[in-house]
Amino acid sequence: MFKYVNQPIEKIDGLALVTGEEKYTDDFSFNNMLYVSVLHSGYAYAKIIDIDDSEARTMHGVVEILSYKNVNRILYTTAGQGYPEPSPYDTLLFGKTMRFVGDNVCAVAAESKEIADEALKKIKVTYKELKPILNLEKSEGSSIIIHKDDGAFPKIPVFYDAKKNIASKVEANVGDFDSAFKKSSRKIELDFYCSYGSHCAIEPHASVSYLDVRGRLVIISTTQVPFHVRRIVSHVAEIPVSKIRVIKPRLGGGFGGKQEILLEPIVALMTWRTKRPAKLVYSRREVFKSTRCRHEYQTKVSVGYEADGKINALHLDALENAGGYGSHALTVLANAGSKTLPLLNKIENLRFTGMGVYTNLPVGGAYRGYGATESYPAYAQAIDMVCEDCGLDIVEYYKKWCIKSGETSAIFQALGEGKEGVAMTIGSTSLVECLDEGAKLSDWYEKRKLYGPNSDFNKGKRLKRGIGMVAMMQGSAIPEIDMASAYIKMNDDGSFNLNVGATDLGTGSDTVLAQIASEVLDTPVESFIVYSSDTDFTPFDTGAYASSTTYLSGQAVRKCVEEIKKQILKVGAEMLSLSVDEVELNDSRVTAKENIKEEVSFADICQYSLYQKNQFQIQATASHISPKSPPPFAVHFIEIEVDTFTGIIKVLNYTATVDCGTPINPVTAEGQVEGAIVNGLSYALFENYYFSPHGKMLNDTFGKYGVYTAFDIPPMKVKLIKSYEETGPYGAKSISEININGALPGIANAFYNATGKRLHSGPFAPEYVLKVLSEK
Amino acid sequence: MKFPFKVNNKSKDLELLPNETLLHVLRNNDFTEVKCGCNEGECGSCTVLLDGKPVNSCQVLAMSVQEKEITTVKGIGTLYTPHFLQKSFVEAGADQCGFCSPGMVLASYSLLKENPKPTRKEILTALDGNLCRCTGYVKIVDAVEMTAQKLQTNNLEME
Amino acid sequence: MLHQNLEWFFPHKVEEAVKLIEQQGVILHGGGTRILKTSPKSIKGLVDVGRLNLNYIHHADNHFSIGSASTYADIIRYSLKTNKLLILAKALSEAASTPLRNRITIGGSLKDFPIWSSLYAPLLALNAQIEIAEKHEKILSLEEYLDSGMIKTKHLIKRIIVDDIPNIIGGVKRFSLIRFEYPLFTIAVVLQVKQKTVSEARIFITGVKGRHKRCKRAEHFLIDKELNDETIQQAEKHFAPKFVSDYKYSAEYKEHTAKVFFTDLLHELKGTLK
Ligand SMILES: Cc1cc2nc3c(=O)[nH]c(=O)nc-3n(C[C@H](O)[C@H](O)[C@H](O)COP(=O)(O)OP(=O)(O)OC[C@H]3O[C@@H](n4cnc5c(N)ncnc54)[C@H](O)[C@@H]3O)c2cc1C
Ligand code: FES
Ligand code: FES
Repeated sequence: MFKYVNQPIEKIDGLALVTGEEKYTDDFSFNNMLYVSVLHSGYAYAKIIDIDDSEARTMHGVVEILSYKNVNRILYTTAGQGYPEPSPYDTLLFGKTMRFVGDNVCAVAAESKEIADEALKKIKVTYKELKPILNLEKSEGSSIIIHKDDGAFPKIPVFYDAKKNIASKVEANVGDFDSAFKKSSRKIELDFYCSYGSHCAIEPHASVSYLDVRGRLVIISTTQVPFHVRRIVSHVAEIPVSKIRVIKPRLGGGFGGKQEILLEPIVALMTWRTKRPAKLVYSRREVFKSTRCRHEYQTKVSVGYEADGKINALHLDALENAGGYGSHALTVLANAGSKTLPLLNKIENLRFTGMGVYTNLPVGGAYRGYGATESYPAYAQAIDMVCEDCGLDIVEYYKKWCIKSGETSAIFQALGEGKEGVAMTIGSTSLVECLDEGAKLSDWYEKRKLYGPNSDFNKGKRLKRGIGMVAMMQGSAIPEIDMASAYIKMNDDGSFNLNVGATDLGTGSDTVLAQIASEVLDTPVESFIVYSSDTDFTPFDTGAYASSTTYLSGQAVRKCVEEIKKQILKVGAEMLSLSVDEVELNDSRVTAKENIKEEVSFADICQYSLYQKNQFQIQATASHISPKSPPPFAVHFIEIEVDTFTGIIKVLNYTATVDCGTPINPVTAEGQVEGAIVNGLSYALFENYYFSPHGKMLNDTFGKYGVYTAFDIPPMKVKLIKSYEETGPYGAKSISEININGALPGIANAFYNATGKRLHSGPFAPEYVLKVLSEK
Repeated sequence: MKFPFKVNNKSKDLELLPNETLLHVLRNNDFTEVKCGCNEGECGSCTVLLDGKPVNSCQVLAMSVQEKEITTVKGIGTLYTPHFLQKSFVEAGADQCGFCSPGMVLASYSLLKENPKPTRKEILTALDGNLCRCTGYVKIVDAVEMTAQKLQTNNLEME
Repeated sequence: MLHQNLEWFFPHKVEEAVKLIEQQGVILHGGGTRILKTSPKSIKGLVDVGRLNLNYIHHADNHFSIGSASTYADIIRYSLKTNKLLILAKALSEAASTPLRNRITIGGSLKDFPIWSSLYAPLLALNAQIEIAEKHEKILSLEEYLDSGMIKTKHLIKRIIVDDIPNIIGGVKRFSLIRFEYPLFTIAVVLQVKQKTVSEARIFITGVKGRHKRCKRAEHFLIDKELNDETIQQAEKHFAPKFVSDYKYSAEYKEHTAKVFFTDLLHELKGTLK
């Protein structure tokens, strides 16, 4: 059906990546470059009385020091989101109040990294320690106020109450939960705690800046959001947008962690002031402590239902730990509801309540899954409990009650990102097929028969096995907010420059976008010179987040290339002395419909248009916003073995069936699934932030934090089950985030199947598991 | 100070200080294909081969390896003359962000050179020092298996 | 950070190296993996062990002689080739990661003895001896080396000697959830079994309070007993290592799990008896 789309085309940057040719931010160095180091707070909550940098300033090789003393006090949010941002303006680049261990105190630029580090030790900071809040449940309304009289304010009209430590609040109601719950004959409640987590992109955060020959500031950075970087640096460093160019080179993974404007304003100011190139690269420990992480969550689900399994009322409540600042505090929270509740859309009475509170712990941010990771464990366990209680097969249950094509959920309209949502009807879905196929691939029915807490297989055994499942949805882009655009021009030899604002984090989006362009023009992927993410040379794109790139930027590319296709056909027709209706595209040529032998090649067309007659540049640009955010769906089946003596959970098999519409590139799409699953697994089983009694993260290295190696992965089966999304490019929806959400709830349900006990707190570390097993 | 080294089959004088790690020295001397993900021996993105065996260059003091053969990923194959192992990585889709790729390629290369018919367990063991957060490892292991297969069917040797 | 004026020495003779480290601030350099972590500025000189011809593994006169410059990977490779030193090789093959095992030396790991050591428990259980090059060369048991505080003095370790005893069985178990995690503890058990009966037992655990512990009560209990299910069940009661809580695991959990692992290990060993 398709020629270039839905094909396993090799990544266009692939060979350059595996031969080490590609350049990442830290690979750029410039003559006369300064090296920057940042001093981070060692206190969770403290006021700086004074910074004495006199000794450091006299050190040989120290060039500039930035702190609250010489940087204007400008409130902003580090969140790289659409403007005006839904996150509160509560952050200063260098403030006088330290709100978590890792907050910025000051920064030094010096002739070498060693000197910069040495200088940090010579800076004397006098702090007044304040009593911190280190527990999310104790924050709301505490007498300790984290943003007190600092002018923090919401940029958009949303609920915000810094005096009560409330960074965000969301509520949505469909029907009447309270009375429907009361009337229900059966009720369950379940709470679930989600820990902090780090993205662990293997490339740490880095930024390099320099002034170009005309005195403009160029920033090369590890960012998912180059255009937001330009806007926010302009605001914080007080440099006009016209004077800033942001380039994203190759990026060593992001997962949301690089959707945050942290290092860029620092190097920008250093360069702007000293007129010298400046480089800042965070150490792994700084990435853990000082950048952003997955928010800590306490969720609770209440369900009222009947003996036949019909759910009358469901309430999801979420308490979110924003940390010291409210980056993404509102939107992650909203997504905790909006990416779960529409799944079983036939529940008539739904309620979502959520609150994000400030604490003096590390700052949350965007992280693959974005709220859904945090809410599915409670939601999907609750559904499992309903099915267990009513003696229903959960796969059949989902098939019956899940949202179908042509259906809607009132939640779509009720829950938006800082404002009302957008009503939407589901177009594409293969969720039911995903359920069936996944059940088959995982031997669900056989294994469900075999296992169970009281089965012969498990009874009295030390090693108990179980299988559990979870069905999920996510979104594709933020409707009516996110915008993507593309520009294309044709070259003499029939090649094309395709310039896109979209940001390839390693996901392969440069390749995927070229495939879409190829399909439109019926010309090979190699004909496209893809250039992305450079604010001077590529048109605007909100950036790589909210699972938007393929769906949104892809559609912008498609529109743009459709436009250039018209021009090519017109010139081709002119050359063939035919009308436009009489010609068509055919394998990098324009041919007569009647007679395929009458042809002109793309190269000839371009040369004609550039040099011969009615000359003009064949070129086009297009922008795209989406009226909806069509959900991808996924179903995960997880089989585990629990060692009831040690509490160690071993994953035996992991099966995932996924509906991402048309997978534009099935290989990179599968890669997204596998990567997300493995990240989800390690988050479910051991990733966590451990803090000292003073709020300092203790396990701030890969070795102590724990990340899966190849040695640790379980056998995985991944199958993409197509559907066709009319609003996406060639039927595509998103795939990158959804699959990180399955491990926690899937393992928890499998655990119940094995032991008859419910897990209430992630990660499922052995000591916790043992505790749960010993409970009566 | 400059000291003689052997990198990718060529003699080269590298500028260094006696307290510097091989990782820093290589990167400071334009071998930026060697990546730094942690600087603590815990991610493997800085992997190079020393006399054919993978090591974390961030855990090696440069002065201690002057007499050894150092191989970076470009010593295996370049953009213009890629090794078939590198091609397998691209073919299998083992290359997402690519930050781990130089290390992964070198670890796989060293394995296949010593053991052209590795079992799955041997592959997993050989890669146990290289973190990848993007791929979930599935396609990386595929790439190594694919290369082993190529070696066998074409009667090739790793070189 | 090490000092940038650090001086390097590459002696070819052990005596030279021994002389060099008599200077203050001058220490030996094995793989360097630990020196880089601790890297005190006070270190003035590093003496590389790479050219001292201490990278060897010999087998003669019923013992193995392992040069201190051998790496973990060297031992694993030797074991794969010869089918010898299996207990040690198994322990080391789980340590750190492939690229680190290519660098970590026996000498550096013995001298450093991190709490996550994969080397000490099996070597102690195998009753290894250590040869120190001092003015007077001396060979002492590894246990003595630790207990006498010798480990804290400055010296050069030349080699490790492990007896090749025919009818021993043994194993190691370490606790770590994922491959690349510093292990919480490592247990090593080496038994001599004659006609199904345990005649000698050496049981060590590292990662405990005080770093290492010989589990004498469990050893005594096992000796003269037949290694059957009942013995193993009883033995658990005599195995009670003490741990310190850390941010991830409580001492109680570690104690509990160490017992489970100990029993598992004994069951495994029982399985190897025909
Ligand atoms: C990420 C990581 C994970 C690790 N995981 C493990 C693990 O799971 N299990 C494990 O066992 N180890 C592990 N290690 C290794 C351990 O922590 C030490 O780094 C290692 O044992 C030190 O060996 P080395 O040869 O590098 O010593 P070096 O760093 O060279 O030296 C260490 C000390 O020993 C001295 N020394 C060196 N050679 C001699 C000699 N011949 N005689 C006397 N003194 C000498 C040095 O002067 C120095 O004081 C890990 C290391 C890292 C970096
Ligand atoms: S940079 Fe060397 S192991 Fe991570
Ligand atoms: S491909 Fe990104 S870390 Fe491996």
